[in-house]
Amino acid sequence: MGNVTVKNVDRIKQTLWEKSYIPEILRGLSVTTSHFFRNLNPNKEKRTIFTREYPEVITEYPERYRGLHRLMLRDDGQVRCVACMCCSTICPADCIHIEAGEHDDPTIEKYPTVFVIDELRCIVCGLCVEACPCDAIRMDSGRHIPPSLERDEAFFDRDLLMELGGLSEAKQGGQR
Amino acid sequence: MPKVTINGTEIEVEKGTTLLRAAAQAGYEVPHFCYHPALSIPANCRMCLVEVEGNWKLQPACYSEVTDGMVVNTKSDRVVKAQKAVLEFILVNHPVDCPICDQAGECKLQDYYMAYDAQESRLRTEKQSKVKVFPIGPEVLYDGERCILCTRCVRFCEEITGTNELTIVQRGDSAEIRTFPGRELDNDYSVCTADICPVGALTSRDFRFKCRVWLLSSTDSVCTGCSRGCNIHLEHFRNEIQRYRPRYNPQVNDYWMCDAGRLTYKEAHEDRLLRPMNNGVQLNWHAVGEATADKLRRVLKDDGAATMAFVVSPQASCEDLFLAREFATKVLGTTNFYLGGKADGDSDDFLIEADKNPNREGLSQVFGGLDDLKTAVQLLQDLEEGTLSSLYMMESHLPFDSGERTRFIDALDQLDLFILQAQHRSDLAAKAHLALPTCSHAETSGTFVNSQGIHQRFDQAFAPHGQSLPHWQIFTRLSKALDAPLEYTFVHQVQKEMFPAPEEEDDAAQPAE
Repeated sequence: MGNVTVKNVDRIKQTLWEKSYIPEILRGLSVTTSHFFRNLNPNKEKRTIFTREYPEVITEYPERYRGLHRLMLRDDGQVRCVACMCCSTICPADCIHIEAGEHDDPTIEKYPTVFVIDELRCIVCGLCVEACPCDAIRMDSGRHIPPSLERDEAFFDRDLLMELGGLSEAKQGGQR
Repeated sequence: MPKVTINGTEIEVEKGTTLLRAAAQAGYEVPHFCYHPALSIPANCRMCLVEVEGNWKLQPACYSEVTDGMVVNTKSDRVVKAQKAVLEFILVNHPVDCPICDQAGECKLQDYYMAYDAQESRLRTEKQSKVKVFPIGPEVLYDGERCILCTRCVRFCEEITGTNELTIVQRGDSAEIRTFPGRELDNDYSVCTADICPVGALTSRDFRFKCRVWLLSSTDSVCTGCSRGCNIHLEHFRNEIQRYRPRYNPQVNDYWMCDAGRLTYKEAHEDRLLRPMNNGVQLNWHAVGEATADKLRRVLKDDGAATMAFVVSPQASCEDLFLAREFATKVLGTTNFYLGGKADGDSDDFLIEADKNPNREGLSQVFGGLDDLKTAVQLLQDLEEGTLSSLYMMESHLPFDSGERTRFIDALDQLDLFILQAQHRSDLAAKAHLALPTCSHAETSGTFVNSQGIHQRFDQAFAPHGQSLPHWQIFTRLSKALDAPLEYTFVHQVQKEMFPAPEEEDDAAQPAE
C-alpha cells in the first residue's frame, strides 16, 4: 500500500452579511422573481429558460446516441449472436448474462439459449458494442430504457432484444 | 557438456538436449505446435525453425540436438520470415472462428499469431471446408477445419494409451484426423487429446460452450476420483468448478488424467446439503452446536461411549481425519472406529486405481494402520445385532451394494442418535438426527496421501457453499460446545501438529509444452 497523503481544506468563513441571513434570502428571491417575470414575456425569443415539454415534445437525439440494446438478426431472421461472451466479459457493470447452446446447424454451431441484459445495471458505456465481433449487439435503437415498477421488467431477454433488432449490413462470415 | 550460443547467450547444456530445450533454458521461447515433451518428436509443424550458423537450411529446434560450439539464432530475419510463412500456411484453411471456439484464450495458434505473425490475410480464395462438430468419441468432438495436423493426438493414442485409434486420412489440404474404421476415440484418457490439442480441433464435450476460458480462475488441487490423486488445475468460475485440467507432476500423473476423474468435479455441486439439519429442521451453526452437544451428552451419559460407533472416511483429508481422531478419542472418549468410503471400482495399469477414495493412505497414517478400524460390513452387523446405540459418521459413502445399503438404512432406525457430516443430501442425510453440511475439497485446503504414499496439498478455490464447513472445523466447534475444546483455528495449525517437519515438496517445473 502506498502512503496516504492528507490534504487540509480550510472552511470558508461566512461574512457578517451572510450570517445575518435576511439580505441573502432577499437576494435569492429577487433572482427567482426576475426569472419568473422574464419568462412570462409573450415573445418566446426573449425568454431565457427553456423547459422541454417531454413526452409531448420528443427530443431528437444525435445519431450516435446510445440507448436501449438490440440484437441484430441473420438474413433468415435468426439471432446473429454466437455467444462468444466478449460483451459480457468486457461489460464493466456485469449486466449481460449469456448461456450458450449447440445450434442444430453445424455451420452456426453456437448460439445464445439465454441472453439477458439487466438494463438497470447497464451504465450505457457501449463497450459491448465495441467488443462484438459479429455486429450482433447494438445500442442504436434511439430509445430510453423504459421505466419499470418491478426489477424483473428491466431484464431484457433475447427475444425482446431481437424484436428491436434488424438485419445487419455486415456480411456473414466477414468479407473476403 | 556441449556449449551452445543462443541469440548471443552462451549456455552449457547436457548432451542430447534439443535446441528448443536449450533455448528455453537460455530464456528464449521457440514457438512450436507439434512438439510435446511427453510425446515423440515428428517435427512436422515447422513452427520451431531456427537458424544454425553454418547450416544453409533452417533447422527444426524441437528435433535438432545441440553440438559443441553451435551458434543459434532464434530471432533472425530469416527465422521471423519463416515463422510468418508457416503461420500463413496454417491459416490458409483455418476458419478463424475464435468467437465460437472453446479453445479461444488458450489457443497456441491465437497466441502465436499475435506474437509472431499479426499480418492481414492475403488469401482471396475460398477456404477448404471439412467436417464440423464430428463426434470422434464419446467425450471428444473434432473440428476438421480448425485442425492443423500436428498429430499430437495421434501420437498420444499410440504412445501413451497404446490404443491406436487415430490416424490421418486423405492428403494435402483435405487431410483430417479420423479414427480407424469401426473404432472411436473411447479410451479412458481420451479428453487428454483435447488438452494437448494446440488449437480447438479436439474439444471436450463436457466443457463445450460451458464457460470461456479467460473467465476461469485456476487453483492447484488434487483429483478425488481415485487413490492415485492426479494433480489438477481446478478451474472455477463464480464459485463453481467448471473443469479439471491435469497438472504436470512426473511422480504421479505426468501430464495426464483419466476421463472419469475429470468428471468427478460434478459431485462437488450435486444436490449439496447447505444448512445444518436437526431432524429435518434447518438450523444455524450456533444452535446446532448446542443441540448436538446436548444430544451427545445425553447419549454418552445413558449408554456410555462404548456403544458409540465412529465412522471415518478415506474421502476426507488428513487434517479432517486427524481432528476426527482427536474428537472421538479425547472429546467423546470412543475408540470404536469403523472405516467408510466408496467401494472399489475399475483399475488399469496406468493411472486409474481400484480404490476410489483419495486418502486411504492418509487415513492409515493418521490412525497408525487400518488394522484397528472395523469394516463397514462389521458396522452393518453390529447395527443389526443392536450392540450400537449411537453412530457418528463422516461422509455418507459406505462400500455397500444396494441390498446392504437398504439393510443399513433400515437398521439406522434403532439408533438413539445418528449424526452425519456430509456434503450431499441423501437417504442417509434424511435419516440423520443431525445432518451437518461439509464442504468439498474445492472449498477448503488440506492434504491427501495418494496410493504411492506421496503427500499432496490441495488449496482452497472458493468459499464454502451455503453454510457448509470443513470437517475439522465442525469438530472444533462441537468440541467447544462439549466444553472440551480442541484449540485449532487455522488449518496450518493442524498441519503443524500433524506433520512436525513437513517435507518440502519439490515443485517440478513444467517443461515447455
